[in-house]
Amino acid sequence: MRYKMLAMIFSILLLMLCHNNSFAQIAQGTTASSVKTEKELSPPTIIIDKTALNNGGTITVTGIAPAGKPVYLEVWSEKKVRASRFDADIDKDTGKRPYILYMTYDMPAFYKIFVPKDQKDSLDKIKKEGKQWSFSKALKDSGADIAYSAPAKIKILRYQATLMGGIIGSRGELLPAMDDKENKKRSMQLVKARFGKPDKVLGADVEVNPDGTYKVKVKVSKGLAPGKFYIVAVVDKNLKSQPVFFENNINFPVVYLSNGGTSLNLFGPFLLTLAIVIFGVLMGAGGGFIMNPLFVSIWPLPHTIVAGTVMPTVLFSQASGIYNYSKIKFISWKLGVIIGLAMVAGGFIGPKLTELITLEQFKFIFGWILIILAALMFWQTMPRYIENNKKEQAILKEYKKKAEEAAKKKLS
Amino acid sequence: MIIEFWGHEFKVNIALGCIGGFLIAVVSSMFGFGGGPFMVPLMTVGLGLPMYVVVGSSLLAIFFNTAIGTMRHYQFGNFDLIFFLIMVPAAIIGGFIAPRIAKRLSPIVVKRIAVVGLLLLALNLLGVY
Repeated sequence: MRYKMLAMIFSILLLMLCHNNSFAQIAQGTTASSVKTEKELSPPTIIIDKTALNNGGTITVTGIAPAGKPVYLEVWSEKKVRASRFDADIDKDTGKRPYILYMTYDMPAFYKIFVPKDQKDSLDKIKKEGKQWSFSKALKDSGADIAYSAPAKIKILRYQATLMGGIIGSRGELLPAMDDKENKKRSMQLVKARFGKPDKVLGADVEVNPDGTYKVKVKVSKGLAPGKFYIVAVVDKNLKSQPVFFENNINFPVVYLSNGGTSLNLFGPFLLTLAIVIFGVLMGAGGGFIMNPLFVSIWPLPHTIVAGTVMPTVLFSQASGIYNYSKIKFISWKLGVIIGLAMVAGGFIGPKLTELITLEQFKFIFGWILIILAALMFWQTMPRYIENNKKEQAILKEYKKKAEEAAKKKLS
Repeated sequence: MIIEFWGHEFKVNIALGCIGGFLIAVVSSMFGFGGGPFMVPLMTVGLGLPMYVVVGSSLLAIFFNTAIGTMRHYQFGNFDLIFFLIMVPAAIIGGFIAPRIAKRLSPIVVKRIAVVGLLLLALNLLGVY
């Protein structure tokens, strides 16, 4: 009884905590690009053939730039998402690991720079570097660094992570804001952390003719953020066109997940969840094991959002299960609460760690977890286990029956 | 520690249970799954308890983890309401349909399929193919 009380007190405390937690809303900084003109050369002109798309499509961008100059196109969405990166790489200057978490709430949900077609080779080289590619190097090598502007000035928060902070599940101390140059450098790393692959943020699609006219087919794939997308043609750091924009519309049943930064047909995750939950119940393991890796593989959703959103979906089924068992007194409150409190300590730390790893690491570790799970499942299909389990299940049934009868008697 | 359950007393190594529970909680809340398939073997094999003690009590222990993990994920902004609202009805409907199908299927066959499926998924995540 004492432990039942403890469990109740715990849940009340939890409710109060949830209620009181007010999180600071970070003001969204504007990222309008500055448009300056040089006296000698006139800035490029820019024309788009459409002003609206319906969940993706192709927009043809044309214009005239000073002859003989390469033309770059910077495209970004008005909708913003969160991006974070944990820097634990050894610093070349000091030889120490900085352990700093960089985080922004202002990353455009879509960002891409289109470079002239003759830069295709340099982009291919970057792709060959694999997972270790660097966005800042890619920008420099393809000359696109002159066009990189929209994410350069986003507000980036820095947290100094410590071991102690990790144990108590805190992000650590908030460090002072960086200067513009450092902010730009870190924003490039965040772009890579958010978008992952080089061809998501760079494309060699700009056709530049000798007379200075240029043409780009901007492909907007399905599943991107709705709302305004801005385009700026860039010839030099200070030679840019006025921004033009088009609207990307999405209609039901396509919905936009604002924290995931992704639009999707809601029947996709609905049917997938349904299928996996059924399969999960049948095999005797929760659906989360299969759901999480599939969600991050099928849709471009951040692993933090997937882990944090899948977890609460089982809360209700767990609660109703506990309620049903407790009705027939089929729970050892002492055992459940004591181990449960140890799990509270673990569950407090875990979600903090999710944002410290990259999507790649998330998938890699998850792969090993699934191998262990597969081994456990395999062990449960061995003849000796089945034999043993049969006996256990028979005893379980008998006791459950007894418990149910006792509960009924009490009622009548 | 002594656990009493329906007239039987069981001696339990609670330190092992707590350390195991803690580790399972860290990993499962970090990766966003329940942890039941790891908790049940811990309590049956690790603590030597019979299945009928474990079914309800392991669920209770895991609920603590799910509750605090949910709260912490929410706190760190790892939550998307629309995504959640899409999944919840699917999870509830699945929970209703599954037991009806389960009666007609052999759990051993399901588990064998699961082993193959999990391995395929694992190899994909590890980048083998």
